[in-house]
Amino acid sequence: MDSSNRRQHDDDVPLIFERSAPGAKAVDLPELDVPETPLPDAVISDQPLDLPEVGPLDLVRHYTHLAARNFSVDGNFYPLGSCTMKFNPPINEAVASWPAFIDVHPLQPDEDVQGTLALLYELRNWLAEIAGLDEVCLQPCAGAHGEYTALKMIRAYFTDPKAGNAPQRRVVLAPDTAHGTNLASCTMCGANVVTVASKDGLVDLDDLRRLVNDETAAMMITNPNTSGQFDGQIGDIADILHAAGALLYLDGANMNAIVGVSRPGDFGVDIMHYNTHKTFSTPHGCGGPGAGPIAVRQFLRAYLPVPQVEMRGNRSNPVYYLDYDRPQSIGRVRSFFGQFGVLLRCWAYIAACGPDGLRDVAHTAVLNANYLATLMHDRFELPYFDPGQKRFCAHEYVSVPKTLLAQGVTLIDIAKRLIDFGIHPPTMHWPVHDCLMIEPTETESKATLDRFAQVMLTIAEEIRSDANHLRQAPHKAPVARLDEVAAARVPVLTVAPS
Amino acid sequence: MGNCCHGRRGQTQIRSPAVNYVQITEEQRLQMLDRIGVDSVDQLYATLPPQCLLGHPLDLPPAQSELQLQNSLHRLGAANRPAGSPDLACFLGAGAYDHFIPATVNSLTAKGEFVTAYTPYQAEASQGALQAFFEFQTQIARLTGLDVANASLYEGATAVAEAVLMAISVSARRHVLVGETLHPHYRQVLESYLSDLPAELVPLAQTGGRIDEQTVRDALDGDTACLVIQSPNVYGQIEDWSALFAAAHKQDRTLTIAVPNPIACALLKRPGDCGADIAAGEGQPLGIPLQYGGPYLGLFAARRHLMRKLPGRLVGQTVDGDGRRGFCLTLQTREQHIRGAKATSNVCTNQGLLALRATVYLSAMGKQGLRDAALQCYHKAHYAASKITALDGYQLAHDGPFFHEFMVDCPVYAQSIIDAGRQRDIAPGIDCAKLGIGNENQLLIAVTEKRTAGQIDQLCALLQETNC
Repeated sequence: MDSSNRRQHDDDVPLIFERSAPGAKAVDLPELDVPETPLPDAVISDQPLDLPEVGPLDLVRHYTHLAARNFSVDGNFYPLGSCTMKFNPPINEAVASWPAFIDVHPLQPDEDVQGTLALLYELRNWLAEIAGLDEVCLQPCAGAHGEYTALKMIRAYFTDPKAGNAPQRRVVLAPDTAHGTNLASCTMCGANVVTVASKDGLVDLDDLRRLVNDETAAMMITNPNTSGQFDGQIGDIADILHAAGALLYLDGANMNAIVGVSRPGDFGVDIMHYNTHKTFSTPHGCGGPGAGPIAVRQFLRAYLPVPQVEMRGNRSNPVYYLDYDRPQSIGRVRSFFGQFGVLLRCWAYIAACGPDGLRDVAHTAVLNANYLATLMHDRFELPYFDPGQKRFCAHEYVSVPKTLLAQGVTLIDIAKRLIDFGIHPPTMHWPVHDCLMIEPTETESKATLDRFAQVMLTIAEEIRSDANHLRQAPHKAPVARLDEVAAARVPVLTVAPS
Repeated sequence: MGNCCHGRRGQTQIRSPAVNYVQITEEQRLQMLDRIGVDSVDQLYATLPPQCLLGHPLDLPPAQSELQLQNSLHRLGAANRPAGSPDLACFLGAGAYDHFIPATVNSLTAKGEFVTAYTPYQAEASQGALQAFFEFQTQIARLTGLDVANASLYEGATAVAEAVLMAISVSARRHVLVGETLHPHYRQVLESYLSDLPAELVPLAQTGGRIDEQTVRDALDGDTACLVIQSPNVYGQIEDWSALFAAAHKQDRTLTIAVPNPIACALLKRPGDCGADIAAGEGQPLGIPLQYGGPYLGLFAARRHLMRKLPGRLVGQTVDGDGRRGFCLTLQTREQHIRGAKATSNVCTNQGLLALRATVYLSAMGKQGLRDAALQCYHKAHYAASKITALDGYQLAHDGPFFHEFMVDCPVYAQSIIDAGRQRDIAPGIDCAKLGIGNENQLLIAVTEKRTAGQIDQLCALLQETNC
């Protein structure tokens, strides 16, 4: 142990329950201004409700202290591959808190919520245009929920005797680099997943041809793919599936590389989901909320979930309404309408960017990733990046730093050491083992990219000169490295009762 | 890429309107291209076949500056008549309730350190979020009277669907008994979730607005995976969970799923007290604005023996290298990013920031505040119900115990009362026919702690005068 390198970590922040003092309170309600009604004993709880009792300052200080123990895009470079941790404009947070929007009840009559419906209708059409597809459903709560919704629709299409008419099509193909959600969503929809092999990080077309048959419902693909490459075979992939009567599904996780540049509908996609919390800058909020709108081609429209936001009348005097009259719909996928507060931010982002701005987002995301990859690739092997051979990455890239790892450190050591430099570690061990997946996004400045490259080179140097320092990282975080194995062995998921 | 005007060397151009969000200057862009060794960004897209490229700009409105954006959204907002506004008296419920939200909840959860962070996979860089979610899990477990809770799901209906999928998996059975007193949206989501799986939805008919113990006994068989009962149910009635769940447990392996209202849990017997194995439902009442139905908060709690089958993320307590307490995501082998097709659920992105809102809300309201809010809901709703039933032609549709919501048989169309309310700044309730839970003369009325005696009296005056 190199004790000279150990640092003082922060003092523990007590749990809110440990700050509790009997009788303390942070808020008051007005006195009851109606007569009391006797409580029916049979249904009233006789158990004490063990919630914290804290005063107003302790309450504010507690969560302020917790905030200080969190990395965020606002405070830190966050090159987390496949997560698109871009800047979240404060204007979007501001407008999303306006009473005109947040005080609207979901079951108010349509005539009372024309502003909300107009916004949703407009967003629906914008997202269809960006996808190059015919109709959008805004309801899904997140990307995985969009996948679920889309797979239900594909099933409805194939079980419709007047449409797909091929109920035996229950197999969904997915590349071996697919997001885990793709596979789990198939299971939830009763579909069987078959994995398609990759060749040099792209779909192996021969394997795809071998696997496609009259039981194939669809293939789920991410393009640019999960290793950060545009799969230029996408047209061939679409042709192979369509010739066999199957559909092409796009996981839109990586739309940030192509928004405004290339449209899924133009490269053969039949149905897709967006992640608004990636492409359209709705904030990640420590893990959510997101929204996962789906876009579909004409022949799938009838199966979209209810309700759909529609317009009648003409453009000069429009009336917006929720349409439930969709007899072939897969039904409801959630209560009420959707993640309105998230969709509002998405609307604001697209409105602020405009068509040229959106294309600039994609161009700069790709530029930043390629620039950073160029700065790193001397010391960190980048298997799919070779500018000399005109082989570039999309908006993110994979590094498999074999030479560095051969010197006796692990990927985790590198990741945890980055925390000491105030940088959130990249995605690790995905889509392949022992890799870093780096996505800088378009919103970072050149200075930030230069610094990250410098830090990575510094760490590479440290691996040679002081590997122990890495193995004990992080040194400057609120806690030292945590024992995640122990956490899973005997799970403690709640505070023991006081 | 012929349509592209960015990044060509030596070419002057007007900066993109997204200037606020993209910080790379034109000069830097050229330096970066030079370092990469290409002439233009187009070359970085070389692997995309030309036919995949969009030959023209997207057909979207031109970019708006921040000031223009504020103005456009102000115009859209002005076309709304928000029922939860302080200018109105809101008696709307049916799964989304107008409760008091302390300002502390808004200010603390608006912190960029929380808003702009990702899922706390890197524990040492995410102790703030992880500790808050650990507190959330504890609060939800205590509120529901169960042992463990997850770190959130999307919203109420999908949380119930996840509970049912879990019960089917744990019990290895197919029949899902669902009281028809469950919110219709939740029932419809369940129908959709189960439609392509080897499972069968068995609806249980209501008797007087509640589910009868005998109805459960009659429907129960050796293939019953679970029983789902909401209480207070969609009519506002309090179900007898204890009796219904005891009846269901006569079949071993059958799981009982309670769909609670979290505010009611501060006053009424909790799911865990009544024999529920799982509690799943909507967390919106816990400090989350109405915001047209979302984002809300899916709550999910269960007994400890079901812990390894839970959907979604879990935060666990552990220690760091110095023996200090810390928190990390745990039991991740249940989840899709590790387990793929065999995961307990496909959920990845959850409702982290809303879980944080609920945590701060519950900490702010505290032991006494939450109970006071629940008591005020109860007393004000009962005061309103007694005044309304004293009016000519109005009576309660059900005679069982209720919490803060009740259905009223009206002498006129519910819609005409709603229309008349618009003139008086009262949102008097929900048209039961439209929601699919009653006829067009029935109004569903919710009364939270926010309503005043004066507003309740105004509601009664509205009903009285719409009595013909």
